[in-house]
Amino acid sequence: MADSKHIVLRHLDIGKPIIKLKDYEKRAGGYDGFKKAVKMEKSAVIDEVKASGLRGRGGAGFPAGVKWSFIPQNEPIKYVTVNADESETGTFKDRLIMEQNPHQLIEGALTCAYAIGAKAVYIYLRGEFWDVAHMLDERIEEARKAGYIGENILGSGFSCEVYTHLGAGAYICGEESALLNSLEGKLGQPRVRPPFPAQKGGGLYGEATVVNNVETLANVPWIMVNGADEYKKIGTEQSAGTKLYCVSGNIQKPGVYELPFDTTFRELLETVCGGPPEGRSFKALLPSGGSGPIVPLTDEVLDTRMSYEDCAAIDTIIGSASLIVMDDSVNIAWVASKVIKFFAHESCGKCTPCREGTYWLDKVLDRIMAGQATAKDIERIDDVAKNMAGITLCALGDFAANPIIHTIKHFKEDFLAMAEGKELAQAGD
Amino acid sequence: MVTPVKEDTELVTINIDGKDYQVPKGGNLVDMAKWVAGNDIPVFCYHPKMDPVGMCRMCLIELGGVARDRATGDIQYNDDGTPQIRWFPKLQTACTQTVNDGMYIKTNTEQVKEGRESVIEFLLTSHPLDCPICDKGGECPLQNLTMAHGNGVSRMYFDDKMHLNKHYPLGDLIYLDRERCIQCARCIRFQDEIVGDDVLAFHERGRRLQIITNSDPGFDTYFSGNTTDICPVGALTTGDFRFGARPWELTEVPSISPWDAAGENISLSTRLDRDFGGKAMIKRVMPRQNEYVNEIWISDKTRFGHHFTRSDNRLSKIQIRKGSNFSESTWDSTFKAVAKTLKEANGSVAAIAGGSATNEDLYELAQLVTGLGGDKLGAWSPTHTGADLVAQVGLPEGSNLGELGAGDAILVIASDLEEEVPMWRLRLKTAQDRGAYLVVANGRNTRLEELATEDPNIKGRVVDGAAIRYEAGSAAAVMANLKKSNKDIAKKLADANHLVIVAGAEGLTLEGHRALVQSAANFLIDSGHAGKVNSGLLVPLPGANGMGLHYMGFSPETTQDIAANPPKVLIVLNAEILDDDPTAKTWLSQVDTVITLGYFMDAIARESKFVLPVQTFAERDGSFTNGERRVQRFYTAQGPMGDAIPAWKAVGNIAQAADLGRAKLSAAAVMVAIAKNVAAFEGITYKVLARTERQFPDVGGDDKYYGGNAYQNTGGIGKQIALSGTAKSEKVTVPDALKAGKGEIVLLPTTRLYDRSHMFIPTVMVRSRVSLPFVHLNPKDAKALKLADGDYAEVNYDGGSVRVRAVVSDDVSVGAAVFPRKLTEKATPLVPTVGTITKVTEPAQIEG
Ligand SMILES: Cc1cc2nc3c(=O)[nH]c(=O)nc-3n(C[C@H](O)[C@H](O)[C@H](O)COP(=O)(O)O)c2cc1C
Ligand code: SF4
Ligand code: FES
Repeated sequence: MADSKHIVLRHLDIGKPIIKLKDYEKRAGGYDGFKKAVKMEKSAVIDEVKASGLRGRGGAGFPAGVKWSFIPQNEPIKYVTVNADESETGTFKDRLIMEQNPHQLIEGALTCAYAIGAKAVYIYLRGEFWDVAHMLDERIEEARKAGYIGENILGSGFSCEVYTHLGAGAYICGEESALLNSLEGKLGQPRVRPPFPAQKGGGLYGEATVVNNVETLANVPWIMVNGADEYKKIGTEQSAGTKLYCVSGNIQKPGVYELPFDTTFRELLETVCGGPPEGRSFKALLPSGGSGPIVPLTDEVLDTRMSYEDCAAIDTIIGSASLIVMDDSVNIAWVASKVIKFFAHESCGKCTPCREGTYWLDKVLDRIMAGQATAKDIERIDDVAKNMAGITLCALGDFAANPIIHTIKHFKEDFLAMAEGKELAQAGD
Repeated sequence: MVTPVKEDTELVTINIDGKDYQVPKGGNLVDMAKWVAGNDIPVFCYHPKMDPVGMCRMCLIELGGVARDRATGDIQYNDDGTPQIRWFPKLQTACTQTVNDGMYIKTNTEQVKEGRESVIEFLLTSHPLDCPICDKGGECPLQNLTMAHGNGVSRMYFDDKMHLNKHYPLGDLIYLDRERCIQCARCIRFQDEIVGDDVLAFHERGRRLQIITNSDPGFDTYFSGNTTDICPVGALTTGDFRFGARPWELTEVPSISPWDAAGENISLSTRLDRDFGGKAMIKRVMPRQNEYVNEIWISDKTRFGHHFTRSDNRLSKIQIRKGSNFSESTWDSTFKAVAKTLKEANGSVAAIAGGSATNEDLYELAQLVTGLGGDKLGAWSPTHTGADLVAQVGLPEGSNLGELGAGDAILVIASDLEEEVPMWRLRLKTAQDRGAYLVVANGRNTRLEELATEDPNIKGRVVDGAAIRYEAGSAAAVMANLKKSNKDIAKKLADANHLVIVAGAEGLTLEGHRALVQSAANFLIDSGHAGKVNSGLLVPLPGANGMGLHYMGFSPETTQDIAANPPKVLIVLNAEILDDDPTAKTWLSQVDTVITLGYFMDAIARESKFVLPVQTFAERDGSFTNGERRVQRFYTAQGPMGDAIPAWKAVGNIAQAADLGRAKLSAAAVMVAIAKNVAAFEGITYKVLARTERQFPDVGGDDKYYGGNAYQNTGGIGKQIALSGTAKSEKVTVPDALKAGKGEIVLLPTTRLYDRSHMFIPTVMVRSRVSLPFVHLNPKDAKALKLADGDYAEVNYDGGSVRVRAVVSDDVSVGAAVFPRKLTEKATPLVPTVGTITKVTEPAQIEG
């Protein structure tokens, strides 16, 4: 199996979705990893995941095994929460996993629950994923019948329940502490940290909790079966394994592609996705949706590997790997205004700089888009965004500052043209 | 002194702007920087009484710590021998930091300055900047911090500002201006964390985030006014003060709440006002910090209830009966006429005084009566007793309910503290939040019972508490037999480090209450808690000066004696005997002459020969002794009403006219006499009562942003009287509970905070919150009487009858009907009694 192409999107190797438990077990070695795990010491499972170098796929890239090891083992109550809020602009990979290979997520989550000693797993899905949740409920039921969920699982003495929970449609509820508030029935606003979710007092109902992204956990079964060493062989030194890259925008073949971390932007965008639309050339790229810094699609960028460390070197992030591609038909000020509208709409309002800053930026960008602004307004939003960055309660404030600061840094002339009314606002906004 | 640094507090060293300070371990950085270093870190959302939330981002600082080797944990040093400091690359919020050893902070760097400037700029982008017409202008944290940290020019286009509702009534008392709100959540958190009535919430998100109330009626709580003090902008204003005056026109006068046994410290904001003939007038009532008593909070009754002092119905002239009419008179001739009447009584003189008379009034009254050869001094109302036991096994000097917490226990029995002494209810609830075990015992549900036993699944408030529901009227028996019938609870109470027992009189006759209070005292003595600091007995005596009545020699048992053996002449001071008690007219008719000193032409005044107008707490100085035996002084705040004078003065001059010695010239002089002649008051002078001390948290200074607009205590924190006497555990005989005959039912009067008493009804804006009169029955009893929930019913009792609504639910125990006092203008039973309840269909009219 180590030589099959996919670690997460295993259905692609088979040629059709792996929905039924039977198929998963028979055709993809389903639950083999979990069976192996429950025979191991809990700490050995954590060590294996740690050794694999698996990093969180929700955006921050925090080493998953390290996070699991933070959970205090002697606490009586612990939880696993799966972050299936998938709200980042241009991200549509978690949905694919849950729709096409759902058991692999359940298996990964159960393995995590076993490793940290949690008796409950909550899968928190964005409100729009109600159909996905419904489908997952059926898979969970199937796994329960087969003895993977419930009391004394596989005779190991380990008991665990898995539940799905739907949010009410807020981007901020993808932020882990806001997610926990929402799951508890409270207003979806981030919490002060520390304490972190993995610490007593910081997690779900105040109990130590692992929050992991869907994709992160879907990697775990493969690691359990094939071992950390095999996993580490894939990708780069600091970014082990494969990543699900979501490609959208001005591109020939948009979609989700699972590729090793050492793949370059060029390989993905030109070779795999067929380059920009006919007659157009690449202009810019948002590698991590609206929340990461934009980069001009220069040769240097195209030849960069899509790993955490390589992206940091070109002053951007790979984040959740939602690549939004822009060709030369796009005015980047328009992109900034679209993105800031999103953040102004999604800011939770809990902290001052983000609540006021996103609103203010949106208002000035409206002026710019209407051609009723000056160069001074561009300086102003640059300054406002910089004032906002770094002092907010959660990272959303930084996410919202990024598109302004970096679009102006790289494409100031687009703003000038727009502000002075030289370019009409583009259709479709 | 109330301070975070106790003898046994472990200290750690932190460095602020290059200087080392020793601070208590575990303290909050903002609090400690202020307390120890006098460094006022600007805050909006942080409040020293609530958990930090890190929302406003105003408190940004540079944060670092002594660098340690990751492997060995050893401190790493620079070449010059100083420890290396590792600084966070980004600014951090001070309010979310707990101090620890080796913490380094910088509050005065360029980076910090820029961070704070940015936050102020963000806060002002959509702010309406309507300071010239804002009630908070002049004492506004946002205004002050803008002056200190803002950059002076706005970069936001005016047209781009967000517009929201500007006059949104959250309830009858509080208005919200959604444009001014800076979303700090202090109001929400106060209601949730401190009060436990979480009736406010955020709605929407982003720039549209706004405060809503989720209760019906809106903002349903007895503590709403406090949110206007801690709101750091003018977003929350009271219906009382709104647009009434500017803060800088106000003169602050320290005072004491006249309502209940808590003795909340207040500040009366006064102004010479055209609405009051150019005299000084109370424009608002604000909390004054006293960490021993009310911290920085007051109840809404205290805040909004001042209107009676200027009511058109206030008695402003002397009234002397001639036949069936009254005529006005002058003080001098009245003193003489009253003295003559008193002397002619040949010693058959008695007095009954209520809980709003001051220590000075009561002392002078006692002197007069005894000087005339009388010896009967009755306390009103004869519903509660046990002040003598509070004097012996109450909370010793130096106690503070604010110190109760983990390991301590509280029992509240036969009292609905929410309605009787709301500040005690708030402080006991917060004590439970700090870990104290809270037991509420009653024959019906109360708000405190709900809080004490709150389900953690509802709000995540995990508390240690229990409820005992007993058969109506059996409180004394329950207390006497607690160790047998509630073994586990009794053991936990007895084993607690500190134990406070609050023994109310609900459902009890005076004899029953005595049995209850004695049993409670026995429990405290047997468990070894009596005499221990932060342990002891409390009784929610009615009025502000129930303990003062005791110390000056007035007792409720004597009131019963007076009723049984009426004197020739009765002096009534601040006691609405006929309005309160439907049975009083029977024995009062045997009194030849009644002399009344009061605020209103109430029913007893109308039956009197002499009616003398006396001043309220607002217009004079004086002192009250609160339920914790703290003697507290208040000062003259408001201009006089008509000819009213302080009661001590009226009584002293009557005594002088009766040749009983010279009248005293000031309240202070009366206190000198009290100190000399009343043992418990030894050493107490007005100067002693005016003493203040530094209190933690440091609220009310120039930095209103820290603690809100509660005032610093400049008028004195008062003096708690030491325990005296040696109460012993005594055998208690519990009187038999009242028994209803066939077709009858026991009526159990209860107290409501908002009622139709003469003192409260002039507060017009709260009127809609005064409940219509009702009787509350258990379904079983209701069935026997053929009553359903919502029916109209006529309640008949000794001395009267009234039509009310019937409430039927199992929130009350079987065997009695709960029948709140003073919800109608008619007198309804003052103490438990047997009566009848019948359903009425026509006309469906109730008497409010
Ligand atoms: C504003 C904001 C939105 C986020 N949205 C998501 C999301 O939709 N899905 C997700 O998995 N993580 C999201 N995250 C990251 C989570 O906070 C958290 O880091 C992640 O769930 C951890 O899982 P991982 O370690 O497996 O990546 C978001 C973070 C922020 C600050
Ligand atoms: S109303 Fe006042 S206290 Fe409440 S959130 Fe707004 S600013 Fe804060
Ligand atoms: S964030 Fe610290 S005071 Fe508001």
